[in-house]
Amino acid sequence: MTRKTRAAEAFLSTFLAITAGLLLSFAFLPFMGIHPLSSLGLLFSSMFSDRYTIGTIFVKAAPLILTALSFAIAYRSNLFNIGAQGQFYIGAICAVSVTLGLQNRIPAFLVILLAGLAGSLGGGAVGALIGLLKAKYHANEFLVSMMSTYVIAELMDYLLRTFLREKAKDYLQTDSIDPSAWLPVIVGKTSVHLGVVLAVAAALLVWVLLFKTQAGFRIRAVGLNAEAARMCGIRPETQCILTLFISGLLAGFAGFIEVNGMQHMLITGLDADVGSYGIGIAILGSANPIGILFASVLFGALKTGGTTLGQVSNVPASIIDLMEGFVMIFVLISYFVRHKISLSKTKRLLGKAVKHD
Amino acid sequence: MDQPVIEMLHITKKFSKVVANDDVSLSIGKGEVVALLGENGAGKSTIMKILYGLYRADEGVIRVDGVPCRIGSSRDAIRLGISMIQQNFSLVPAHTVTENIILGNCRGLIDYRRKEREIAALAETYGFDVPAGELVRNLTVGAQQKVEILKALYLNARVLIMDEPTAVLTPQETDRLMEFVRQYVQKGNSVVFITHKMREVMDVSTRIVIMRGGRICGAVKKEDADETALSRMMIGHSLEHLTKPAGGAEEKPVGFSVRNLSIRRKSEPPLLEDISFDIHKGEIIGFAGVSGNGQQELCEAICGARPVTDGSVVLDGRDITHLSIRRHIESGIGYVVSDRLRYGMVMNLSIAENLLLKESYGPKWRKHGLLDRKRLNRYAEEVIRRYSVKAPDPSVPGWSLSGGNQQKIVVAREVEAGKKMILFDQPTRGLDLGAIHYVHKTILEEKAKGKCILLVSTELSEIFTLSDRIVVLYRGKIAGIYKPSEVDAGKIGLLMSGYRNGEEKR
Repeated sequence: MTRKTRAAEAFLSTFLAITAGLLLSFAFLPFMGIHPLSSLGLLFSSMFSDRYTIGTIFVKAAPLILTALSFAIAYRSNLFNIGAQGQFYIGAICAVSVTLGLQNRIPAFLVILLAGLAGSLGGGAVGALIGLLKAKYHANEFLVSMMSTYVIAELMDYLLRTFLREKAKDYLQTDSIDPSAWLPVIVGKTSVHLGVVLAVAAALLVWVLLFKTQAGFRIRAVGLNAEAARMCGIRPETQCILTLFISGLLAGFAGFIEVNGMQHMLITGLDADVGSYGIGIAILGSANPIGILFASVLFGALKTGGTTLGQVSNVPASIIDLMEGFVMIFVLISYFVRHKISLSKTKRLLGKAVKHD
Repeated sequence: MDQPVIEMLHITKKFSKVVANDDVSLSIGKGEVVALLGENGAGKSTIMKILYGLYRADEGVIRVDGVPCRIGSSRDAIRLGISMIQQNFSLVPAHTVTENIILGNCRGLIDYRRKEREIAALAETYGFDVPAGELVRNLTVGAQQKVEILKALYLNARVLIMDEPTAVLTPQETDRLMEFVRQYVQKGNSVVFITHKMREVMDVSTRIVIMRGGRICGAVKKEDADETALSRMMIGHSLEHLTKPAGGAEEKPVGFSVRNLSIRRKSEPPLLEDISFDIHKGEIIGFAGVSGNGQQELCEAICGARPVTDGSVVLDGRDITHLSIRRHIESGIGYVVSDRLRYGMVMNLSIAENLLLKESYGPKWRKHGLLDRKRLNRYAEEVIRRYSVKAPDPSVPGWSLSGGNQQKIVVAREVEAGKKMILFDQPTRGLDLGAIHYVHKTILEEKAKGKCILLVSTELSEIFTLSDRIVVLYRGKIAGIYKPSEVDAGKIGLLMSGYRNGEEKR
C-alpha cells in the first residue's frame, strides 16, 4: 500500500467518524423538542458565517495545539504529563506578571518577548521539577503532574485575590494589559493573532525535533525501550527531566499566548479545560505533531460552532460537550478499525503470495 | 505404530507480515522423543506454541488421541496433558519452588506443608535435587529449569515440549536432563525438543523433524540421520568451513586489562571478586561458565553499566573504570548484549534507527544539526546486504525480523562502535546455524583487525573454536585461565560446576 492511499484512507475514515459523531449527538435533540437537522445546518452555517468566526476557530485551536504537543512529546518518551493545565496556568501567571510589571517601561516587543520567555520557562520549570522527582525518587509522574495542577490552580486563585488582583478589586482577575503588549492581530477583521502562527510553528518544530534530530531520537528511544537506550549511552533519567521540561515549556507557552494574545488579562478559571482537551487531541492525532494540528483545528471548530449555536438557537450548551465527546470516541474507533482492516489485508496478500510460491 | 498422541494436520499460521507455518503436519507418538530441528525463524517455536495454545492456527486441525481438539489457551493444552517449557522461564523469582509449581493450580486454602511434601516426593522420583521450600531466585538456572519440569509433571503432562532446553546448562547438567528424558518417555510419555544443536538430537531423540521457512522439509529416524545431511536440510546449503588464524596474539601488546575487579553488595555474596586478566590486541579471550556466574556483570562493569566496588579497567593505557556508559562507547568499546530483547534493540524502531542507537550523541550521522537520514538509510542498506539480513528495507521495525536477523543488526552496530574492543555476551544464543556462522566469521574478522575481543558463551564448542585463551568463571571468581590446547571440555565442565581438583592456576 502506498503512502498516498494510506493518507487518503485515514482522511476518509476520520471524516466519516466525525460525521457519525455529529449525527449521533444531534439525534438527542428531538427529545428536547428541537429540530436536529436545522440545528446541524445552523452549526455549520454559523461556523463559517463570517470571517471573524472562521478566525475564531484558529484562535481557539492555538492553545489546544500547544497543550496537545505538551502531552504528545512526553508520551513519545513513555511519560504521562497530564498536568498541562497547571503548567498552562503557571505560564499565564508568569506572562501576565512580566507584562504588567514591564509594560510601558521598556519597548513593547521586548515586553512580549520576555513575557513569552517567562511563560515558557515557568511551565518548563514545573515540568522539569516533575521530571526530577521521577528521575531521582521514582515518583510517578502521572500522579505528580495531575496533583500539581490542583496546587497551581489554588496558587493562581490566591495570587488573583492578592498580588495580582485588579485595582478595582471587583472580580478575580488582573488588570488588562496594555494594548502595546498584546500579540499583534495578523489577519484583518478577525482576532487571529501572532500566537496562532507561533503555535503552528511550535508543532512543526516539535515534529522536526522528534523525527529529524538526534535529541528527538533519544527521546523516542527512551520511550520505546529505556533499558536498551541506557546500554547505548543515553541516560533515561536525564531524558526524563529534559522531556518533561520541553513538555511543560509548551504548555507554559500556551498560557502566554492566551494571556497576551486572546484574553489580555488573567482571569480565574482561564481555559479550564485546555489541558484535558490537549490529552484527547494528542491521542486523536496519534501523538504526531502534524496530526495534532488537524485535530486541534477540528476541535477549535467544534468549540466555535458550539458557542455560536448556543447564541443563535436554544440548543443547550451541554449538547456541544456531548458532540465533542462523540466525535472523539468515533475517531478513536475508526483508528482501531482501520488498523484491523489493514492487518487482515496484509494477511490475505501473504496467503496469496504463499499459494503462488 | 499405535495411535499417535498428537496429530497436527495442515497447520498454517500467519503473523501480520510473515507466514510462520505453512501447511505443517506433524505427529507425536507415545514414548517418542521428537527433535524439532531448524534455523531460527523456521517456525519451530510457532508450531509448538500453537500446540500449547499460545497462538491459534489460521488453518488446520489438532487431534489428541485421535479426537479433534480446539486448543484455545494453555489451560486447554494442560488439561489435555500438554506442557511447554519456554526458553525464557516463566517463574516468579520471589516465590518458593512450591508456590511456583502450584501457581494457578490450586483453590481455596492452601496447605503449604502438604504441597511441599508432595512436590519433594515428585522431585525424588526423578532424582531432582530441588529444595521445595527454597525461593526460586536463589536457584541456579539449571535448577530453575527443573522447577519448570516439575511444574509440568505436577500437572500430569504426557507431552512435554522443551524450547532450547540445554542453552543454559553445563555439559553435566545436560547429561542429567537427557537421563530424565529417557526415564520420562519410558513411562509412555512423549517429549518434543525444539533445538538446533545437532549433538543433542543425535543423543536422545527417536525421530528428527527438520523445518525450514515455515515448512517441514524432512523427517528422519535417528538411525538414518547424519549430521552433514541434517545441517544441509536445515539451512538449504552447506556451510563454508571456518579457519581460525593461527595464534601469535601473545606477542602483540596488551590492549585491555582488568585488575582486581570486584563488585560487592551489602549482605549478599559478591557478584564478582578479584577478577584480573589481560587481553592482547587481536586476541579472543573466551569466558566459559554456566550463565549467572558473573559473566553478564563483568561485561556490564567493563562497559560502565554497573558500578565497580574495587579494582580497575584499563583500555589502551587509559583508566576507564568509572566513566559513564556514553564515555565508554566513545572510548571505543562495543558490547553485544546477551539479552537482545531488553538491552540490545528497540523493537519499535526501524533497522536504520537501531543502527543509530550507539551514535545518538556522536557527530557521525549529523548534518547541519539534523539527522542525515539519507546517509543512514544507505548505510543500513549496506548492512542488510553485507550481513544478508532478511529484511525488505531499512525502514521495517526491529520486531518484524527473526531473532537471527535481529542479532545481525546488533552485531553490525557493535562491531562499528567497538573500534578498540568488543564484548560478545552469548552472541549466538538462540540463533540458527547460518546466523551463528556469520557471527563467528565476524568475530574472527574483528580479531584480525587487532581488536581486543571478550567472548562469553555457555557453548563450550564455541569457546574452544574461537578463543586464544579460556577463562572459567564460577560464582564471580576466576576458576582458571587456560590455552585451548591444555584442556578439554570435560575439565572445563568440571571447573564450571565448581570442582577444583587441585588444578594449578595460571
